[in-house]
Amino acid sequence: MLKFVVRRVLWTIPIILLVIFMTFLMMRAIKGSPFRKSERAVPPAVLENLNRKFGLDKPWYRQYFQYVENVATLDLGPSLVLRNQDVNSIVKEHFPISAELGGLAMLLAIVVGVPLGILAALRANKVTDYLLMLFANLGFAVPSFLVATLFIYFFAAKLGWFPTNGWGSASSKVLPVVALSLGPLTYFARIVRGQMLETLQQDYVRTAKAKGLRWRRIVTVHVLRNSLIPAVTAAGPLLGFLVTGSFIIENIFAIPGIGRYYVTSVSGRDYSTVMGITVLLAILIIVANLVVDILYGYLDPRTREQRT
Amino acid sequence: MVLNPQEESLRETVVSRESEELRFEAGAALRQSSLWRDALRRFTHNRGALIAMVAFLIMLLYVVVTPWIVPYDPNNVDFSASYLTPTWSHPFGTDQFGRDLFLRTALGGRISIGIGFAATVAIMVIGILYGAISGFVGGWLDNGMMRILDALYGLPYLPFAIITLAIFGTVNFWTMVVALTVASWFTTARVMRGQIITLKENDYVRSARAIGARWNRILFRHLLPNTLGLVIVFVFLELPGVVLGEAFLSFLGLGINPPNASWGSLAQDGYTQYLSHPHIIVIPSVAIAWLILSAFFIADGLRDALDPRTEGAA
Repeated sequence: MLKFVVRRVLWTIPIILLVIFMTFLMMRAIKGSPFRKSERAVPPAVLENLNRKFGLDKPWYRQYFQYVENVATLDLGPSLVLRNQDVNSIVKEHFPISAELGGLAMLLAIVVGVPLGILAALRANKVTDYLLMLFANLGFAVPSFLVATLFIYFFAAKLGWFPTNGWGSASSKVLPVVALSLGPLTYFARIVRGQMLETLQQDYVRTAKAKGLRWRRIVTVHVLRNSLIPAVTAAGPLLGFLVTGSFIIENIFAIPGIGRYYVTSVSGRDYSTVMGITVLLAILIIVANLVVDILYGYLDPRTREQRT
Repeated sequence: MVLNPQEESLRETVVSRESEELRFEAGAALRQSSLWRDALRRFTHNRGALIAMVAFLIMLLYVVVTPWIVPYDPNNVDFSASYLTPTWSHPFGTDQFGRDLFLRTALGGRISIGIGFAATVAIMVIGILYGAISGFVGGWLDNGMMRILDALYGLPYLPFAIITLAIFGTVNFWTMVVALTVASWFTTARVMRGQIITLKENDYVRSARAIGARWNRILFRHLLPNTLGLVIVFVFLELPGVVLGEAFLSFLGLGINPPNASWGSLAQDGYTQYLSHPHIIVIPSVAIAWLILSAFFIADGLRDALDPRTEGAA
């Protein structure tokens, strides 16, 4: 187990370097300097100074290594557009909001989605199952911007139960969290249902039934335990899901999170901010995948060999 | 989707009938297409998949035919006709400029579905190439290539799509296709590699190798054609994600330039007026959901039809 963990952790390092490198190359490929778009023409001498100040005059590989070094010391560099802010402070200001939004949505997705999946599997091919799967398929297909807008229309504008936008009081968090969690929630429900149905057909379940165990005990001891472990792996990809969803949800509810800031930074050509946020999100997801893998290897030793 | 017992028995009768036919035609040449005829029969016996197929074709028909038969100009501004609610002459109503939404939704569908299909093809090509090379060559190359995939797996495509659009500087049909492809091919590549590795162990591949077939013959004659079923399933699995991705980008204001519009930009239009005219955002969103759901169930039916052993989890 230790060997598995160590190898898996060590592999993560070149991977993170690779992702930073890809992001770095992409950012360099964007045309147009951030300093040229201001109304007045910037004198060449000033431009040169600016380039020097932000290290843009150095060769690309020096910039890359400098950047990796900075990331390693948790310094994402200065913002190229906002003069008095660096990327760290931007992240510090906006990231906790996104993290709270995503965390609450994930929690809701697990707390509601997993039981729904279990229920659907136990009632397979009955009315409950069909209704739940209809809901799950709609949750998967209906774009989150429609769900969010309809929530605002009915629960905020018409009924006035919740504020239409913003992020502060507990009641302002209800609509965005529910809207964001709907996709992951139905995803969990589908995964858990599929796993349960597969487990229910295993020989050991039939054996347990044959030796006369109570159904409740079979489900809790044999079926649930073996079905929920694979559902753990769903948590990795789901994080990417949440990031994408939060871009939309933060925009609609005017939540000052990192996703909303990202879109403005791209159009403002604030390279270092865009890159900082991208690298941060990527590392977050890579680390989440790492944790999921290790957790999975711990829960199901059979997978250690394949996944080293 | 798990099948109910009746469908299972239905399937068995189909299979046994098929083998009887085969015995009957024993003298005739064995047709290679029997696998596909088998699959077609299974697909047409799957009610859900058939309904999905019909829904999908209706959407294509609506998108293709409407612009030819509707007597309006999609970009004609007429403020006297703005914000009409749905009537017979304007089945989906009109937007703030008095443009007919029945027509604009169809035109938006052309763009959304067009981008969706083009990006799906690009994803398939890259995924198949990457997966086939990795799985076929094997060894350290496979190891390295998979390690990279493992890492990229689960990265959100949206930031990378946004950066790609920024690199191009302009948003049009093809830059959108590239942006949506950049960070979306990982799953396909992974699955293709798995398939190639499984196929490589088959006896016919070993025999081909034993009689001295070269690698290109094995790859192009024996391995790739046998992934075709999976490729078709994956086209319908990838399409929904790409269409949704395009809609998200357009909704964030990073889509195709006006007056052209995709479903995503139509929805964004509607979002700005959701309080007074909620139907404007509902129409393109329902179109997106319609397409995604039908593609999803087609993929599900195809998977069951092409490979009856895996009644895959939904």
